[in-house]
Amino acid sequence: MTNRNSESRIRNDESRTIPMDRGIFRHSPFAIRHSGFAILHSSLALVVLIATGYVLADDSVVNSKHDLSAQGPGPVRAVHENEICIFCHTPHNAAPQVPLWNRANPRTHYRIYESSTTDARIDQPSGPSKMCLSCHDGSMALGNVLSRPATHPIVMTARTIPPGTTDLTNDLSDDHPIGFRYDRSLSNADRQIRAPEVVTMELPLGAHGEMHCTTCHDPHNNELGEFLRQSDQRGAICISCHDLNGWPSGSHANSGKHITGRTVDVGERLKYDTVKDNACLNCHKIHGAQARERLLRAQREEDNCLNCHGGAVANFNIASVIGKRSAHDVRFRRGIHDPAENPFTMRRHVECFDCHNPHAVAADPIGRVGGTFGQTVKGPNLHVSGVTLSGGQTDNAAFLYEICFKCHGDGITRSRLGDARQVTQTNTRLEFQPSNPSFHPVAAPRRNNDVVSLMPPLRVGSMITCTDCHNNDDARALGGTGPNGPHGSLFEPLLARNYETDDFTVESANAYALCYGCHIRDSILGDESFPLHRRHIVDLRAPCGVCHDAHGVSRGQGNSVNHSSLINFDLSVVSPADSPSGRRIEYVDTGRLAGNCTLTCHGLTHIGFPYTGRGAGAKSVLSGVRR
Amino acid sequence: MKSISVMVVSLVLGLTILAALGDDGIQGSKHNFSKQEWSGGDACAACHGTETEPPKAAPLWDANADLNRTFGVSLARTKQAGLGSTMCLRCHDGTIARDTVAAANQKSRFSNQDHPGLFGAGHGTSEHPVGVEYPRVDEDFRPAAIVISEGAVTLPGGKVECISCHDPHAMSGQPYMLVKSNAKSALCLTCHQK
Repeated sequence: MTNRNSESRIRNDESRTIPMDRGIFRHSPFAIRHSGFAILHSSLALVVLIATGYVLADDSVVNSKHDLSAQGPGPVRAVHENEICIFCHTPHNAAPQVPLWNRANPRTHYRIYESSTTDARIDQPSGPSKMCLSCHDGSMALGNVLSRPATHPIVMTARTIPPGTTDLTNDLSDDHPIGFRYDRSLSNADRQIRAPEVVTMELPLGAHGEMHCTTCHDPHNNELGEFLRQSDQRGAICISCHDLNGWPSGSHANSGKHITGRTVDVGERLKYDTVKDNACLNCHKIHGAQARERLLRAQREEDNCLNCHGGAVANFNIASVIGKRSAHDVRFRRGIHDPAENPFTMRRHVECFDCHNPHAVAADPIGRVGGTFGQTVKGPNLHVSGVTLSGGQTDNAAFLYEICFKCHGDGITRSRLGDARQVTQTNTRLEFQPSNPSFHPVAAPRRNNDVVSLMPPLRVGSMITCTDCHNNDDARALGGTGPNGPHGSLFEPLLARNYETDDFTVESANAYALCYGCHIRDSILGDESFPLHRRHIVDLRAPCGVCHDAHGVSRGQGNSVNHSSLINFDLSVVSPADSPSGRRIEYVDTGRLAGNCTLTCHGLTHIGFPYTGRGAGAKSVLSGVRR
Repeated sequence: MKSISVMVVSLVLGLTILAALGDDGIQGSKHNFSKQEWSGGDACAACHGTETEPPKAAPLWDANADLNRTFGVSLARTKQAGLGSTMCLRCHDGTIARDTVAAANQKSRFSNQDHPGLFGAGHGTSEHPVGVEYPRVDEDFRPAAIVISEGAVTLPGGKVECISCHDPHAMSGQPYMLVKSNAKSALCLTCHQK
């Protein structure tokens, strides 16, 4: 197919070099034959005119692939028959369907296109489509025309259309759907389909507004290749009907990057040289797609992406990071993702499309992780479905966390392996509720004024995103060289930086690099907030995670007295202490930078052990600790 | 000068008649009814009448022909076909044939009863329309002036008729009495810009 198109383009180029009115000259051989002159030079002129006439006739069926006469250009043609129209049309005794049809309709029952996301009611093909299929489904002999006795069909070089891209077979489920009504009810149901009345007249619908082969193809005119009515360069013919969210400003519509690789399905070169010119064709195949539903080139979802994003075309090699120790490894599951899936009931999986909409993806020019920059979704995650903070579904996530909540929130897909803590919650949506006693400010600004350790420009009231903590460890936003985003990391669970959780970890800048990315190490170890931080972290080698729950403590389970400041003790380290009011683990918030603990940790028992901090520069009073 | 003109005209006419009587003309064609009993041995009389049956309409048409007859349900987009078609249909519609010509040759019988929707342009039609105005401005058709100037296809009254494509006198010697060879679909492509 690619070869054919390149031929076609070359012919176009030739034709442009000869400025002639094709409409007049293309039939010139017939006119000139009647002139009666036969002197040598006019004969030569005749030959030249005939030759150029046919070369010029790119917009004519004559000499196109549909010229099946014995003089036709293709390998499939008649042996003797020299008429061209006869293969489809006859002036008399035609089949009772326009336009003077000279073939019987195929009786084939077709497997038709199915998709979980289409709102079209797709029927068996009819009308003009059946006419095309009378050759292109491969069931009927090419030379069987009504104007010839069935016993004496036109003798062809091939009895039926040879197997290949033009033989659609009786399986139309891997082809763009036809035989559905393209009407207002369709465009109303699917907002990514244009209203039929605004679709260009160049793409005609059938008598009842139904889509046919002839909507996209003009069987008489191969000027654009593949008998297309509009060019497929930059997806022009596709976007005449498909009004995809975010497409006009997306990278795949605008990237001038050169396609250096080959198509993922058949290893051919793509039709055009750049991403933007191939547009839809980068990923979709309109006929004979390997992944039938949604007509994707590659059967495996991620292959459609990694063909370019595996180091070949795109700036960053995603394939190199999804194999890391902790990763959203999109290669792990196959055939589960469905754009129409319900996040609450879908089976566990992750595909590129769960977080990215390839129609809308755009570069994130800032490309920085964190802080005040990261609140709403950016280019790479535009027009992706999500689950809102309140648990509702949305087709168009406004905040990055809404995309994460699809899998890590209420659904059955989330990991149930929470840390053993006082309060255990694996539903991240509940962990980040603004009404929680404490939470990292992902979904709402922090209410706690005690956080004195924040690294500018972060301040109390700043917000962060999931990707501030969960990201590629070598993301360029973190000073690395790899792609941004939680694709894969050396640090579990998919953390941007190192974060030790083992008890007795020796404190270092690296041990808690994740926390120190936002919370100034000197402030923490200088006891500017909790006056006993250094004592706990450095001296007693208790990791941050022993006392703090990184996400938050959900409202229904914790309260603001016992679980402020993300306090939610790790039960693998902290054990209960016998207090006058019973055996318990308890933190009590007694005001700004003040509180007391009742627990046993590292063999030390705290019973209502109080502390009071005085903010920056404060030193605690070390008293009451019982060894 | 005048005599030269007369000579030229005579020569052309003579050659035409000679050609008409040759194998490529009507004598060798299926339109030569001279052997039929009803024709009285006259190759021309079947269509053009005789001295006892004087012509009623041009060209020397059979006086018995009902030229105002309506053909079929919708002949050519509600417009009545012109002489260039009604002359032919007089025999070839199978209903008013002078004899059993059409019945004997099913393929050349264009009866409305045999072919529902016959001659109606539009959905369900099975015959090329006749009696239709040739499109004036349509990118799918070559300009009428060019078509006519090529000398083969005629558009009487600016319309497409049977005689646009068929020559009842079979002067060109083409099969189906076509006005020109349809090799490479040349006849079709004379009008259709496809």
